[in-house]
Amino acid sequence: MTTLRPFEKESTREFDYVGQRTVRVDGLEKVSGAARYVDDLDFGPDLLHAEIVESPHANALIKAIDTSAAEAVPGVTKVVTGADFPFKFGLYMKDRYVFAQDRVRFVGEQVAAVIARDPKVAKRAAKLIDVSYEELLPIFDPIEALKPDAELIHPDLGSYTHVPWFYPHEDTNVAHWRKTRKGDIEQGFAEADVVLEDEYTVPRYAHCAIEPHVIVGLYDQSGRLTMWSASQSPYTQRHLFAEALAPLGLTHKDVRVITPYVGGGFGGKAGVSMEIMGAAIATAVKGHPVKIRFTREQEFYNTYQRQGLVAHIKMGVKNDGTITAIEHIMNWDAGAYVEYGANVVNAAGLSATGPYRVPNVWIDSKCIYTNLPPGGPYRGFGYSEFMFGLESHVDRVAEAIGMDPVEFRRKNAIREGDILAYGAEMNPSGLIEAIDRTAAAIEWGKKETSDDPNKAIGKGFAVFWKAPAMPPNASSASFLKFNEDGSMNITVSGMELGQGYLTAMAQIAGEVLSVPPSKIRVETPDTDRNPYEWQTVASHVTWSCGNAVHAAAVEAREKIFDVVHRVHGYEEESLYLEDESVRSSTDPDFKLPLRDFVIEGLEAPDGTFKGGPIVGSGTFMPEFTSTSSDPETSQGGHPNVHYTVGAAGVVLEVDRETGRMKVKKVALAVDVGKAINPSLIEGQITGGIVQGLATVLYEDMRFSEKGKLMNANFTDYKIPTAHDIPDETIPIIIEVGQPDGPFGARGVGEHTMIPAAPIIGNAIKDALGIRITSMPITAEKVALSVMKEQASEGDET
Amino acid sequence: MTIAQVFDYQRPESLEQAVQMLAEHGGDVRVLAGGTDLVAWLRDEAVAPDLLVDIKQIEGLGEISDEGDAVSIGSLVTFTDVINSGLVAARLPLVSEMSATVASVGIRNRATLVGNICSAVPSCDAGPPLLVHGAIVHTFGRAGARQIPIDDWFLGPRETALAPGEIVTKVVIPVPPGGHGAAFVRLSRYEGEDLAQASVAIVAPADHRFRVAFGAVAATPMRARRIESLLEGKALDPTLVAEAIALVSEEISPISDIRASKEFRLRMSEVMLQRGLKAAVERLEGNGPSYGTNLM
Amino acid sequence: MRTDVSVTINGEPWLLAVESNDVLLETLRSKVGVKSPKIGCERGDCGTCTVLLDGHTVRSCLVLSVEVDGHEVVTLEGLDDEGLTELQQFFVDMNSFQCGFCAPGIVLAAAELLEENSRPSREEVQEAIGGNLCRCTGYDPIIDAVLAAADAGGRATQ
Repeated sequence: MTTLRPFEKESTREFDYVGQRTVRVDGLEKVSGAARYVDDLDFGPDLLHAEIVESPHANALIKAIDTSAAEAVPGVTKVVTGADFPFKFGLYMKDRYVFAQDRVRFVGEQVAAVIARDPKVAKRAAKLIDVSYEELLPIFDPIEALKPDAELIHPDLGSYTHVPWFYPHEDTNVAHWRKTRKGDIEQGFAEADVVLEDEYTVPRYAHCAIEPHVIVGLYDQSGRLTMWSASQSPYTQRHLFAEALAPLGLTHKDVRVITPYVGGGFGGKAGVSMEIMGAAIATAVKGHPVKIRFTREQEFYNTYQRQGLVAHIKMGVKNDGTITAIEHIMNWDAGAYVEYGANVVNAAGLSATGPYRVPNVWIDSKCIYTNLPPGGPYRGFGYSEFMFGLESHVDRVAEAIGMDPVEFRRKNAIREGDILAYGAEMNPSGLIEAIDRTAAAIEWGKKETSDDPNKAIGKGFAVFWKAPAMPPNASSASFLKFNEDGSMNITVSGMELGQGYLTAMAQIAGEVLSVPPSKIRVETPDTDRNPYEWQTVASHVTWSCGNAVHAAAVEAREKIFDVVHRVHGYEEESLYLEDESVRSSTDPDFKLPLRDFVIEGLEAPDGTFKGGPIVGSGTFMPEFTSTSSDPETSQGGHPNVHYTVGAAGVVLEVDRETGRMKVKKVALAVDVGKAINPSLIEGQITGGIVQGLATVLYEDMRFSEKGKLMNANFTDYKIPTAHDIPDETIPIIIEVGQPDGPFGARGVGEHTMIPAAPIIGNAIKDALGIRITSMPITAEKVALSVMKEQASEGDET
Repeated sequence: MTIAQVFDYQRPESLEQAVQMLAEHGGDVRVLAGGTDLVAWLRDEAVAPDLLVDIKQIEGLGEISDEGDAVSIGSLVTFTDVINSGLVAARLPLVSEMSATVASVGIRNRATLVGNICSAVPSCDAGPPLLVHGAIVHTFGRAGARQIPIDDWFLGPRETALAPGEIVTKVVIPVPPGGHGAAFVRLSRYEGEDLAQASVAIVAPADHRFRVAFGAVAATPMRARRIESLLEGKALDPTLVAEAIALVSEEISPISDIRASKEFRLRMSEVMLQRGLKAAVERLEGNGPSYGTNLM
Repeated sequence: MRTDVSVTINGEPWLLAVESNDVLLETLRSKVGVKSPKIGCERGDCGTCTVLLDGHTVRSCLVLSVEVDGHEVVTLEGLDDEGLTELQQFFVDMNSFQCGFCAPGIVLAAAELLEENSRPSREEVQEAIGGNLCRCTGYDPIIDAVLAAADAGGRATQ
């Protein structure tokens, strides 16, 4: 390949802002209390509040809803039910209604809403809504749901609209089945010296952003619908609102979504979940703003949940350590509605080989309806789930042939140009460097012992990868404008979820235009004013929107050079920007500050002015991607833009008696292409590791026999506190540039939590000799496993 | 989620006024001190009072005082007050050690020790230490003052011997004569704020008349009397400790719930007893781990 | 039952008409217009509603508005009249927070700690913020900033 890669051109010189540990542009607002989130916005005394009435049953027919008693409560403005909004919605598959119509499919599903000026009145009146149900037998186990005689959770599945790369199986509970086939799987196992298979299970998890979902809608007298949303996806929300409410006469230009700071997303605020109710309800109380703020309980059971997984892995290897075949069967507990979650299943189905060279592949990834709450996107998007089993299995396979597991991974690690399971080529990758540096950081191979005789120390290792799971045409756009003093405002529609996106965008634009990020304000989205962004998900905004911002900055730079050329005569090729000024390589004395002309233009010798306000716009769409492929093999398309890869290792101390674990040290290396801001990436690593460790050491969702979530609060679905973190975290940033990324950057947000589960499972095995194949691996599970092991040893002797 | 239910609120300035309010009000009346349990319960509608009587304005309930052979802790004393009390640390280190494990700073600044035993949830942290110290709960009502031994206090989950119309004024905690060692061992899922999955409190006095109590492994915090009589007056050796551990399954009746399985609670109660006894005796002998060390 | 409550909030006297079932967190946000205490869990588990009541951190979701009659409440907005405390500046400089939703509670919890203990250990910092949940950061960048502020002799409310 001889084409000049843009980042290589850029990287021939030192950067002023890219690669610097720039202070966050939103830092001051956030530590001073000035930062405003949706619930902090004031809407005046006319604001209404909606209380949602929910199904107590996991699977039932709605026979009747009596709203009269609630309507009679003084102070109640309006009561709405599914009958008011017979509208379907969904991101990838339209399988949901705004409110349940004739059937509820999970405990907590929205059935009606009471709207009142006083939230206390709404809460009291909501209790008076009388819904008659006819209970049906619920299905909670995805394996049960697969049985030929299983009741259909969505009898009309065959009629649902969906994206062309989904394959629903009519008259079953399989909403989507991604099949990936490469080579000859049987031949692969035949060539192997060792074939090992086992099953791994992963429960459901909650995102637990500290800010609950909040939506405020105002459908004004002119027919405009403005929504203030705690969302990762303002444009996608606008599109879905407009689409779902089209029967009311709404068009896209009538819908405006405003998204201020968001108090954490992690995938939970992607797409549209509860917000659709806010949009619909707003149309029912025209002229009045109406708010829905989910309680922490609702946050747990009626936004998205990370889907449960039962995975069966069969792997064949030769004695020299070469992987000959991987069969990975994933049955996903996708919940009652899969409008977003089915794409998690799809993503896993394309990439469940992990970052390995595998000649023979057989992947089945099935999206299975159950009567649990809707599954959906969660940081890691399926990879965290299947990598637990896969990376546990890799350790076991290595052990079976007597090979060091790190050496095994190194030997099989995928490299640039390798053919992926679905036939496309692997992008440049620093996987080997990540493996080596991680192993060194945890002193892999050196056995450690604890001072405490009750405790054992084990080490665990895993690699990871992930590609953004996006539609092939997901795109980004950016506008940039200069101000009189040479400062800038940039409008984009990616979301600042905490990852530091606004800061990274300021650094990218600042680098191109020689303006310090502290002089750049990057605005949070308002779909009326800010240009398009698909969603802030998939760890793609630094890459995708970064490209758009880069393009906007380059366009502005070209305009700057054009006007300088026209007025001062320097050839454009000789011009460059430095310290907020235009310089010329042909005239060292020429230095024209940007602030002198970026609004007012340049005065020509004849007294006229040239140029004018400098603005730039930029867009980005990955024009090489495609989801057109053979549904039976997934061969033929190019569904993923690139993979970000890395490795992680842990030194874990375990108390044999109590099972309590202490992470003494954890190292995580990730190939980010180019670190736009190393401090922000370290933040992703430190935070992602703790969130990942939480899924393996502590958390899981517990459902009753009736499908009710039993720990829908922070008392019993707790997340780690400041005491529950590793003693030492070693972030390792690797930079093997992404050819089509801004300055070579690729995404990193989700990846840092993916390896957490397998490194713990592998470290437990190393410490205690016990292999645990189900998540979470709590102290309780470890202690009871040790007891069981001791009991069985006792039996044997 | 707002508190939707309606109730009245009164803030008496004296005990007499308070008990009068309690007595005169016909309906369900709740005493409000720190409110860290009560306000949450009001929101969840786990309680439905007609009236809250806020006792924080009453003089004299916020004191920790030395009563010679005992320390008295008033009903407005917060866990933070207990932690900061040199008197409690010196004379009842077990109570200090326990208090530091309760919830988090922001809760401990408001939550009272007396409120903790009045809420009387099975995982109530203050229960086991007060049991092993033989604390006396002092109450005041229209019928006058009562002193209720802590052994008679806990009747069931969220149920105590406090009679309608009564207010707890203080809890008086005897200090074991002579020196003593003690240990509060608490099992929880998290190192930071978390409810106890199980706990054990142990007092090891100089005469080795051990006191042992468990929390979160029965309907109420409970004394382990069989273990106490087994150990009474004896020097701990591995055989004796093993015998004591063998009694744990007879003493406690844990359940499986969202926080832990029955099996785990039982096994961990054994481990906690073993580690707690060791620490308490070492502390008695002046060479144990410092109070506050997490033994789990 | 409606009651008039006289309370000092961020140094200013307020006379507020509240219902006995109003919670301090809601009153601060909706009647006083102070927005830094956030609604996170409404049962005392997450700490993002933290305010200083008479100088000590409490969960404003677990305090009834009627209870603060005659008392003093300080929120993050009122931590320093002059601008940022040194502690806050360290949080900014060290990129401690990400989404920022836990920040109001954590800044106040750390300020309370430094007020009482100017040279805390790492463990004491962890304990001070052990009731304030953060899902983004893994806490290390927050703890590091508190320790750095202590090292610099930065007191919370100078």
